Amino acid sequence: MFGRSKKTGNYAYTVAKVKAKKASLLGDDAYAKMLMMSLPEISRFIGESGYQKEMAELAGRTEGIDLIEHATYRNMAEVFSSILQSTQGELRDMVSAYLTKWDIWNLKVILRGKTYGVDIESMKEDLVPAGRLDASALDKLLSLENDKEIIAEFERIKHVEIPPEVVNAYKAAGHLRNIEDYLDKLYYKRLLISIVPSSRPKRLFQEFIRREIDTINLETILILKMEGIRGEEVMEFFIDGGKQIDKKLATQLANAESISAAANDLAQLDFYEDIKEALDAETKSLKDLVAGMKKYHIRQAKKFSHLYPLSVIPILDFMIHKNIEVDNIRIIARGIESGIDREMIKGLLVI
Amino acid sequence: MPTKEITPTRSALLEVKKKIKLSKSGYKIMKMKRDGLIIEFFEVLEKAKKMRGSVLSDYDTAMQKIAVARAVEGAIAVKSAAYALKAGPQVKLGSKSIMGMMVPKVECEIIHTPMTQRGYGVISTSAYIEEAAQSFEKLLDTLVRAAEVEITMKKLLDEIEKTKRRVNALEFKVIPELEEAEAFVEFRLQEMERENTIRLKHLKKKGEAAE
Repeated sequence: MFGRSKKTGNYAYTVAKVKAKKASLLGDDAYAKMLMMSLPEISRFIGESGYQKEMAELAGRTEGIDLIEHATYRNMAEVFSSILQSTQGELRDMVSAYLTKWDIWNLKVILRGKTYGVDIESMKEDLVPAGRLDASALDKLLSLENDKEIIAEFERIKHVEIPPEVVNAYKAAGHLRNIEDYLDKLYYKRLLISIVPSSRPKRLFQEFIRREIDTINLETILILKMEGIRGEEVMEFFIDGGKQIDKKLATQLANAESISAAANDLAQLDFYEDIKEALDAETKSLKDLVAGMKKYHIRQAKKFSHLYPLSVIPILDFMIHKNIEVDNIRIIARGIESGIDREMIKGLLVI
Repeated sequence: MPTKEITPTRSALLEVKKKIKLSKSGYKIMKMKRDGLIIEFFEVLEKAKKMRGSVLSDYDTAMQKIAVARAVEGAIAVKSAAYALKAGPQVKLGSKSIMGMMVPKVECEIIHTPMTQRGYGVISTSAYIEEAAQSFEKLLDTLVRAAEVEITMKKLLDEIEKTKRRVNALEFKVIPELEEAEAFVEFRLQEMERENTIRLKHLKKKGEAAE
């Protein structure tokens, strides 16, 4: 999916560029203000807060809440692409490896849409070219006839090879689950490989990704547990490389009778305090648990954002915050549009 | 049966009497059926009320969950996950009899699809989307069961109405008309008998006079 460059990166230039962009991100007070607004007011506010170009471009095609969602995604895609374009050497490898998640996201949108029979224009609207694959590469994927050709083209342009057993499992099942899970695992595997922990900032970056793997693994285990799936079947979806949740602990969690029974095994984790309340509550919803893990993850990113100014850390920090900004705008706008209680919307925000 | 159409004969009287007996027993059975159906209807009505409550609450929950999923994960992600879904719900349609009336019996064969069989990747699918999917499965299950109860209730209402009309027709039209016909035939037969007696007496008198 990505190779490793021997050149050092242009950290100073990219960090300076990212710092300028970070200054224009919305602050916590802006979200508080938006919570008090109506949907048209939010549209106007967003239009005046750095999303003007995208709002104007898409206004002819979409409207209301969809306009906000598409415009914020497009803005994020453009910002990420411009950062990626300005990076060089090993920095480019790391940023590119990190942004590959958007390539996989887009591939999933295309494959799912194609197998369902969605028209190309509608699928195009839903793509977020925030990864290495630009609009023209995505157009090429969109123009392909069937899922086989799309997978083959993706393998070619991203230098990945989906093992025959995964392809066969996909063919046998008739759905994309095996391929999607394989690509998600491969993403983290290659992302960890792309980060050479030769310096403190790179080690921090790697640690951050490993913690992200922990949260994903835990969320997967708990979702499947709620479904009544336990043991070996759960371990099929385990991503290697987590910091605190290794295979042994994951197996223990996967074998636990219930979520509450797994709580004891979770007590040793760093983010236990963030999810403790949600685990104690005998509600059958994972919403609070996931929100707790997300908040923990962001806190980790914030923790090292000011350290090592000339490293990959400020760039990663900006990308995470930009993504959160887009998510928060959408949460507020969609929440208000759907009539969700404002306190609940506040709880869903990642601040 | 209009009295004009009856030939006042003894066999017609027997026929009418037979019809009256049959109508009365039919009336009794129909009345019992109507009462039975009404009792059954009230039981189904209670069930329907509960089901409507469940449908409303499940609908609210599902809408709330999908709204949260669309907010947190984005409408694109939710839509995309929906496109990936390959397994569809399956219901089995049958029928059962309530007091001789056939009502549909709907059984959910496959409503819930395990997450691993839904079609989208397990790792990247958030708990919000999964919870929304589960809520909609629950809503669908409730809707299928509610459909059975609602159709049964409507069919029962139609059947009660039909039976009520039949009971009324028997009570206020068929039986009174038959009784009227019976009375008419009996009256005519008695009159004919009297006429015969008089005629015989007359003939007897004539015969005696001739002797």
